Amino acid sequence: MNRLVRAELRRLFSTPLWRWGPPVALLSGGALTAMAVLVGPEHFDPPMPGIGTEAGVRLVLSLIGLTVLAPALFGALAVTSEYRHRTITYTFLFAPRRHRVLAAKLAAYALAGTGYGLIVAGSAAAALYGAASVRGVAIGASPETVAGILASLAAAMAAYTVIGVGVGALLRDQTATLAVLGAYLYMVEHLLALIPGVGAVYPFLPGGATAALTQASLMGEAAVEVSGSAAHLLPPLVGAAVLLAYALLAAAAAVLLPMRRDVT
Amino acid sequence: MHPPHRLEIRGLTKRFGKVEAVTDLTFDVEPGRVTGFLGPNGSGKTTTLRMLLGLVAPDGGTARIGGRRYRDLPEPARTVGAALEASNFHPARTGRDHLRVYADMLGVPTARVEEALALTGITDAAHRRAGGYSTGMRQRLNLATALLGDPPVLVLDEPTNGLDPEGIAWLRGLLRRLAGEGRMVLVASHVLSEAERLVDDVVVMRRGRLLATGPLAALTADGIGLEAAFLRLTGAAA
Repeated sequence: MNRLVRAELRRLFSTPLWRWGPPVALLSGGALTAMAVLVGPEHFDPPMPGIGTEAGVRLVLSLIGLTVLAPALFGALAVTSEYRHRTITYTFLFAPRRHRVLAAKLAAYALAGTGYGLIVAGSAAAALYGAASVRGVAIGASPETVAGILASLAAAMAAYTVIGVGVGALLRDQTATLAVLGAYLYMVEHLLALIPGVGAVYPFLPGGATAALTQASLMGEAAVEVSGSAAHLLPPLVGAAVLLAYALLAAAAAVLLPMRRDVT
Repeated sequence: MHPPHRLEIRGLTKRFGKVEAVTDLTFDVEPGRVTGFLGPNGSGKTTTLRMLLGLVAPDGGTARIGGRRYRDLPEPARTVGAALEASNFHPARTGRDHLRVYADMLGVPTARVEEALALTGITDAAHRRAGGYSTGMRQRLNLATALLGDPPVLVLDEPTNGLDPEGIAWLRGLLRRLAGEGRMVLVASHVLSEAERLVDDVVVMRRGRLLATGPLAALTADGIGLEAAFLRLTGAAA
């Protein structure tokens, strides 16, 4: 098994694509947070609590939850790239018990997703405190609270990477997978959150579960604007459990789906 | 290298929708010989090879290597080296890194990667990305991948495609040497004139069915070439 995980890590790091990971993580964590702090949520339209309050800090950090498409797309490439370039033939020849290959991909990408998440969290922490000191504003949340939120967001990035691997294994086609993930995360889920009544399911969707980690959601604020109410987010630990369940579901799909499919 | 293996195909059948790709195919391939798996494009050769290697599930019949299905072999890629098409590479990965990925999967040291590169004559191009390789170099990288595990069985699909005459002569020598070491070498090809100079035995397919099998010498015994023998067979079957 270790051989296969090592092979997957080598596969990942032997094309230039991974080099996009750290810059994207810095943008998603550091740049986004710095921008939000420097502008100040109190200057958003509509105005929101400033970072001098805990609610304001949670809101600023919750913006990071909107960037989960990046790790999801990255994870999707684990399988779709193999079908696109037809390396899947060799891969299944060298490991004909296909579930082992997929398990190795999941392990390798969970590791890589965790690394991505740590860069996001680390750069967000630096941006939060750095930008706040530039503005001369005190942070309204304890360092423990900030650390807890950022750690859970880092874990969420790993979870979305795993979800991406599963969706990629399900669809196999690279373009279709990118389109489905993008459309779901940025359109379908947001629409569901805004539709009165249907919005009640939002806390149980991946986006709602991610928002539960920070206990703040721009989508929730938008839902209040549109329909006058928003579904309550789950408690952070329950949100984490729901996200983990999606990741496990995606992992199970990734492991089980390629078993009987013909590779022609 | 593992001990020699024999290949047994029994009643192999596969349909894709309404298309009968392979029908009730039965033949054996012996170690120590180069066997040509011949037939026109679309005759079911590639589907047969993919069933043999566990990539495509047969609707009926069995394909066994040394008495076991490919996926049940204790060390499949150290038992069978396969090269199925000339474009199984990520274009942005170097030839050497491509081999290292699969060497990792096998658990063989990176020194074996260098041996496979040297054996197939592409050491000088190994640092370049595979996307820039010519078809002939891709064929060599394919062969290097197949040879990574030093397998006693080699299965090659159209390995001469894209090779220049010098490359074909080199391949002929290499396969002859590998068979001489006791390995089983199965080469699928639709180019009969090349196959004739390469193989000891033939398995001939047409429209998914077995047309003839046996030593090349028996098929061409009355002095006619393989192409004429093939046309006579297909004419008789038509």
